[in-house]
Amino acid sequence: MLIETSRREWLRSAAYGVGGFAVGGMMPGGGWLGVPQANAASFVDPLAAKQPHFPAKVKSVIWLHMDGAPSTLDLYDYKPELERLAGQDIPASFLEGIKTSTQGGVGKLFVSNKRSWKQYGESGAWFSDLLPNLAQHADKLTFVKSSVTVGATHDISILKLNTGDLSPGRPSLGAWVAYALGAANPDLPPYVVLYGGQREPRAGSVNWSSGFLPAVYQGTAFRPGAQPILHQAPPELIGLEQQRESLDLLHRLNDLRSAARPDDSELAARTNSYDLAYRMEATAPEAVDLSKETEATKALYGLDNEATVNMGTVLLRARRLVERNVRFVHVVSGPINALGQGDDASWDAHRALERNHGNHARAIDKPVAGLLADLQSRGLLDDTLVVWTSEFGRTPYGQSGDGRDHNPWGYTQWLAGGGLKHGLTYGRTDELGLKTVENPVDTYDLHATVLQLLGLDHLKTIYLRAGRAERPTVVYGKVVNDILA
Amino acid sequence: MTKTLKRSVIAMMLSASAAALAIAEEQKAPAQDSPRASKPHWAWQPVYQPFAPDVQKKDWARSSFDAFVLAKIEARKLTPSPEADRATFIRRATLDAWGLIPTPEEVAAFESDAGPDAYEKLVDRLLASPRYGERQARLWLDLARYADSAGFQNDNNRLNMFRYRDYVIGAFNADKPYSQFIREQIAADEIAPGDQEALVATGFLAGYPDNSNSRDLVQRKYQITTDIVDTVGQAILGTTVGCARCHNHKTDKFTQKDYYSLQAFFANTAFDERLPAKKGEVEAEFQKEQAVYNEATRAIRARQKEIIDSVREAALKYHKERYLTDSRESIFKPKDQWTALDRWVNHRLDSVTNDAALAGFLRYAADDKSAPEHSKEIVEKADEYQKLTQELRKFQNVRSNKGSLNYTAATELGHSDAPPTYIFFGGNHEKPLEEVQPAFPDAMTSETPDIKPTATSSGRRTALADWLVSEKNPLTARVFVNRVWNQYFGKGIVGTVSDFGKAGDKPANQELLDHLAFTFVKDGWSVKRLHRSILLSATYRQSSDYREDVAKADPENKLLAVFPRKRLEAEEIRDSILLASGHLNERVGGPSVFPPIPANLVGSGNFNNTDPSWTTSKDPQDHVRRSLYIFTRRSLPYPLLETFDMANPQQIHSKRDVTTTPLQALTLYNSDLVFQWSQALAGRVIEEAGDNERAQIERLYLVLFGRKPSEAETKALNAFLDQHQKTIAAKAENGKLSLAVPVTTKARFVDPLRASAFVDLVHTVVNSNDFVYRF
Repeated sequence: MLIETSRREWLRSAAYGVGGFAVGGMMPGGGWLGVPQANAASFVDPLAAKQPHFPAKVKSVIWLHMDGAPSTLDLYDYKPELERLAGQDIPASFLEGIKTSTQGGVGKLFVSNKRSWKQYGESGAWFSDLLPNLAQHADKLTFVKSSVTVGATHDISILKLNTGDLSPGRPSLGAWVAYALGAANPDLPPYVVLYGGQREPRAGSVNWSSGFLPAVYQGTAFRPGAQPILHQAPPELIGLEQQRESLDLLHRLNDLRSAARPDDSELAARTNSYDLAYRMEATAPEAVDLSKETEATKALYGLDNEATVNMGTVLLRARRLVERNVRFVHVVSGPINALGQGDDASWDAHRALERNHGNHARAIDKPVAGLLADLQSRGLLDDTLVVWTSEFGRTPYGQSGDGRDHNPWGYTQWLAGGGLKHGLTYGRTDELGLKTVENPVDTYDLHATVLQLLGLDHLKTIYLRAGRAERPTVVYGKVVNDILA
Repeated sequence: MTKTLKRSVIAMMLSASAAALAIAEEQKAPAQDSPRASKPHWAWQPVYQPFAPDVQKKDWARSSFDAFVLAKIEARKLTPSPEADRATFIRRATLDAWGLIPTPEEVAAFESDAGPDAYEKLVDRLLASPRYGERQARLWLDLARYADSAGFQNDNNRLNMFRYRDYVIGAFNADKPYSQFIREQIAADEIAPGDQEALVATGFLAGYPDNSNSRDLVQRKYQITTDIVDTVGQAILGTTVGCARCHNHKTDKFTQKDYYSLQAFFANTAFDERLPAKKGEVEAEFQKEQAVYNEATRAIRARQKEIIDSVREAALKYHKERYLTDSRESIFKPKDQWTALDRWVNHRLDSVTNDAALAGFLRYAADDKSAPEHSKEIVEKADEYQKLTQELRKFQNVRSNKGSLNYTAATELGHSDAPPTYIFFGGNHEKPLEEVQPAFPDAMTSETPDIKPTATSSGRRTALADWLVSEKNPLTARVFVNRVWNQYFGKGIVGTVSDFGKAGDKPANQELLDHLAFTFVKDGWSVKRLHRSILLSATYRQSSDYREDVAKADPENKLLAVFPRKRLEAEEIRDSILLASGHLNERVGGPSVFPPIPANLVGSGNFNNTDPSWTTSKDPQDHVRRSLYIFTRRSLPYPLLETFDMANPQQIHSKRDVTTTPLQALTLYNSDLVFQWSQALAGRVIEEAGDNERAQIERLYLVLFGRKPSEAETKALNAFLDQHQKTIAAKAENGKLSLAVPVTTKARFVDPLRASAFVDLVHTVVNSNDFVYRF
């Protein structure tokens, strides 16, 4: 190479950084107790890997957000009493203490005539006919059948599911994890977002926002196709070798000028960030390139079937990412081509639940079962936490005759992977599956539990903002210890 | 503290005007009598004019505050840095005042100005330009969580909001006193009813994120008020009042009662988004585009209306019943029995009820075979309506997204009585405790609000606004001057710029802060005078060159003995590249624009599909406007800016972070736009410098940095060109080669390979630290 290469081998610690924080207050768990300041001397790498508060049970999280809110009464939460009373009005006693709307709201108790239930595994967990593949993994799952949240509309409840608040502005759980633990793989972002379909989910990046944390902690959306990151590839007509040569010039020019500023690690880090970027041009596409996967693996995720290829691709990408030590993979379920736009683009079955859930369940059932099997066979399941979540559940009473309305009072979510009591069912809804009657688990509690498994105490995961010590669980949250191994 | 106070009062007698002296005396009294003031938090104490400290370097100061900075430097046995050279200074000042780099001509003129008032002339020129208002507005819009869309999942357009943005630009350019600026934003509808120019200022309040499909309107009202109070508290008072929403403030003497008493000032506040705007150029243009759309879709829309009309009553009933129980209480109450809260809820209902919302009834009645309204006829209507909606969507790109015929303003709906405000247990609006009245925070002041209801409004916000900008208010001026200081020096005198409470930073130099605040108020809250005093100060004029003695004695540069270099903000980077490329469209104000976004970014779908997330502007001139005119869509932050730590518009954004990430490198290096601008810049440089390569490189450096390249730089650049030309040539396949060449209408480059290498050189220099930082 002709260009004089006087580049120093920068340590990873000078790789990239936030200029605004003092080193002095490195916290357990990796937060900064610092205050914004202008000086370069305090420059630290915001994504440097940090130690958790206590030994972590899992290294990575795959957060599966079932967008639109599935009826867990049609998937996991079997209610014989609902079958018995189907077609009747819900007894008034069940509605006490909740705010409902009358129209498009409280209809007759509804059960699809297509629904059937069976118990699976040693645990004898119930699954409906909609999830035959996932049911085979019953003993890997830990059910929380007493999930509760706030809200009557997707907007605010999705915000709460991801950020803990009903209004936008707080960091999402993945951003907190990136902030607290940094990146375990310097060549990939620690917090990656995958979504089904070609378009971003509703509200876009608000779902994976860093809120008041620096932007470096927000989720990086890996988009469908070969170029997952925005600005992934050099401009047209610029070859990689050509770019490398230009980057060497950039180094040279920066070095010439920063010689007079020996202490300025921020400038040095900026210079070095171009090398990381150059590497990322290769590592990011490689991380989601499925061409090296075997046909058997692809089939496991349903890539050979039109109904499952979309979410199968997403979840196989998710596995490749956790394999590469991405800390938090945030998956949002996508639309089904056959169902068109509107409510049916998601699990939001206000009407024709059978058609909606039949399609959405089919789209995810095999891929998620494949994911669990694949993680296990690769020895990754013990180091990974898979969480099935939704913004709320759906009501036992019908809507539009054959749909269900939103239910924030009682629904099922599950966890799988390291550090859990597998095959356990925690909490309970009432006999009709409307309200939680035992061991309620709010979104904050779920967040606290996920953090706990990552080795983080949610009460000590702190970011100082405008004088206030902010934490992921706002002012709430308790770890659901009963489900932890 | 006591000592400072004594000294300060003497200083007042020596130096201040009689009026200011009277204020000081008045403030002193409660400070001694009231028990609450026995040891008030520093920021809640009145602002006094401190003594100018004694300094050794008596000829150093240029602005009145310089002595306060110098005294601290000298106390640490240091000296200030020498002056920055003029080229560095003008780049720094132009970026800070305008958010743009200076032109080579501006640099040359300043460098050769031998007059004694060269700096004054420069600074006055900077402050007189509308670019000053654009830059300062952007920073205020951060605080106002400004956006052109409502946020949440629908993320509906707010096509009126650009008027508020233009109001802010205009206010800075006209040097509207900050006190007036604040009063108008809080209460223009009360203090200047009917005055559109002032009324749009309440867009400051109206910028809250909103979800039009909320089914719980009582909760929505509470969330809106919460957002407004948090924004006002932090932006203007530098106080994290929101912390007291759920519990008494943990560090400040700020109770839940104080908090809800502040909410009470906004209890009767609603917003009208349909006020007819005065007809001007924007409106005429919008009307013209709208007429085209209306004409093209006339039949579709007429048929849709016909269908809705045939079921309107039932559809409206259905729509109303979708709201939750406590909202329904208001909605179904006869109008003559409405309370103030009922008025608010029904106004809200009205503003989100349109035919598209009513169409929900058709779907329900068609789908639910058990519904009493179900019939063959309704199924046909629902299907037809749906088809028409799809048909209508095809005309989406004909529809104007450039502004509106309306403006948004706060209103109290023509009534002076307000709904009651309660303390909410744990911040839960379903658990009201005692009722509270509008009141200022008890520990902060003994003043009580002077509320004078008008015929159409409660007068509450006027009372709040008057207190905020009262000369007795200890916070408003301190907080603002500190923000401006933060802007120039990268760190506020109080580091936590939106928290002047106990948990926030203590002022690094309180006398400096108080001097600035006192002077600011004395100067009639003139923002331009404040900027002028900083831009002309000796502190600001220092070089940012590294000094070992300072690095050792003051590693965090708290004393400012060297000037702190700074990464450019997102908008400064984009706008300066555009300027250098010759592309920047300098039109001031007007509807927000949609420049191109990367091809693999497909924005989010929303519920109603009425507002596509990104429709790239048709006029290429709209692609090269300054960044603050780019449509701020809450669900789709403009990627080129977002990665460089642009403000997050979901909540008040107090301070720009400076992060350095590989994603930024990818953005600046791989963005097609930046590359195209680099091609244009290469073309411009060749046009201006002629064929001589050395002259071209010199010109490039003058354009970007205001200086010529050093010998070492020139050597590296020449070596690069020689090698790079070969590398590019080697890319040829089958004798064919596609090249990116400089873009110029006067194509004067002779060797395309060399010219292509030059484009890469320009693109690389644009990516260098020297460009992305100001020193």
